[in-house]
Amino acid sequence: MPTVKNWQLGRDMAYPYDARYPERQFAFVFNINRCIACQSCTMACKSTWTFSKGQEHMWWANVETKPYGGYPRWWDVKILEQLETANPGAQVWGGTPGDGRLAPYGTFEGQTIFEAAARALSPDSARVLGYLPTDEEWNSPNIYEDNPVGKRGVRNALDDTGVQLPVHKTWFFYLARICNHCSYPACLAACPRKAIYKRPEDGIVLLDQSECRGYRKCVEACPYKKTMYRGNTRTSEKCIACYPRVEGTDPESNGEPMETRCMEACIGQIRMQGLVTIAEDGTWAEDRYNPLYFLVHVAKVALPLYPQFGTQPNGYYIPPRWVPRPYLRQMFGPGVDLAIENSISPSRELLAVLQLFRRSNRIIFRYEIEEGPKIYEGSLHGRKVELYNDTVIAFGKDGRELFRTTVEEPVHVRSNAHANSI
Amino acid sequence: MSYHDPEPEDPQELVGVELPGDEAVTREMAATFADEFAQLGLTRIQILSLYRRAEYTGAHQAWRLLGEDEIARIVDESLAVYGRFVWVVTDGPEEVAGSVAQPLRLVRRGS
Ligand code: SF4
Ligand code: SF4
Repeated sequence: MPTVKNWQLGRDMAYPYDARYPERQFAFVFNINRCIACQSCTMACKSTWTFSKGQEHMWWANVETKPYGGYPRWWDVKILEQLETANPGAQVWGGTPGDGRLAPYGTFEGQTIFEAAARALSPDSARVLGYLPTDEEWNSPNIYEDNPVGKRGVRNALDDTGVQLPVHKTWFFYLARICNHCSYPACLAACPRKAIYKRPEDGIVLLDQSECRGYRKCVEACPYKKTMYRGNTRTSEKCIACYPRVEGTDPESNGEPMETRCMEACIGQIRMQGLVTIAEDGTWAEDRYNPLYFLVHVAKVALPLYPQFGTQPNGYYIPPRWVPRPYLRQMFGPGVDLAIENSISPSRELLAVLQLFRRSNRIIFRYEIEEGPKIYEGSLHGRKVELYNDTVIAFGKDGRELFRTTVEEPVHVRSNAHANSI
Repeated sequence: MSYHDPEPEDPQELVGVELPGDEAVTREMAATFADEFAQLGLTRIQILSLYRRAEYTGAHQAWRLLGEDEIARIVDESLAVYGRFVWVVTDGPEEVAGSVAQPLRLVRRGS
């Protein structure tokens, strides 16, 4: 098997094809700390792409309640278990998270789904370790989500206290997911008909319906379970990253690259999506003032989802602060502790960049900060906080200013009835 | 919504397991929401209603466990920092009239 460089793992790894890198890569950052599971993203995707007959159980974008929930159920537990069985006790990280772009999380010493397949599977044509979820596992995308239940016999009305559901007695969080448009897609690697391809201009991974014969090898291989089979067409389908919007060819985009529907719809303002520049060796080329580059490589608050699977996913997450660290380290790798520390007390620049989320639907290619005077110094959660009257300016693909965000002291308008009160 | 008693034979039945977690975790979750939504510019009333409403189960569970006073204290702590100012967003100047925006064109590398 050829060898490719996986910077998220800090090492080379085996992959069924030679490395080919796009000029730019579709990527996104989700700030889990803000997600309220409103499912607006899920419905934005559903109502755009998967509302037809045969797609009833198909949710390209979903939000699941961790640690109990999953769509399909137990997807991550199952693949983690398979890897553990293939390489018992050795799925570990070594080295120390560092500053460089090449091994920011140290080195993964275990086996990826490609490496484990080479050792554990036969025949040779089985290129990726995976499994095919059952119909039942696909059936309940929202299982364990905790919407308060109605009273028995009373429909269309919420119970005030929600006491009817088994309430989570402990920590949980909402994990919003779409296809990661991986740099080394497992779906692509597994397809015997080469029906799946990665676009050289933006790294979006697409599945050619006219080539697909419904073997479901991609469904079996994708460790994130983001390709889905459609019974009435007998082909598989997957997230297309709303590519007309990303290209700027969607009529609504007016020629400018736009973020996807799920990003646009996000009520909690947790999502930012963009295109990052890829270097010759497949790493992210230094692009200091691209907001995604800043969040992943400079502030180091955004981490890949299960990097140990080995597909080099392009979805990044600001991990939830309250969740036990061992769980988070398994899910996001060894960068978790630094990411949480940096997000609890955001730096001056991070605070500014976080204000870029969801202020526009255009893709932000670059930002600039105009520094203003210090307006506050104090402490929060035992850490020093400094606030500045900075202005952060977002620029689109052709360098045009999209918007600027600045801070102002709030003005309190007293009501006529209480003119003397505060 | 469930309107029936649990059916143990039903493969879709909820089968939760309890994982370690304690009041400190709940407190940290409540503080995280307060920080995030204060940073987004929500008002005290708006943030508190997030905890009070049963729809937002994470926040609401913290409210039930810790009580209104403690949640208000947590929210006020965040607002004491991030509530000091408001974010003002201004759209950039529109395209010059008559100019036609070009679709993104990226050069393909190699073959
Ligand atoms: S997340 Fe799955 S479907 Fe998407 S590119 Fe990666 S392997 Fe393929
Ligand atoms: S729209 Fe945003 S806040 Fe709502 S569930 Fe989706 S990711 Fe979470």
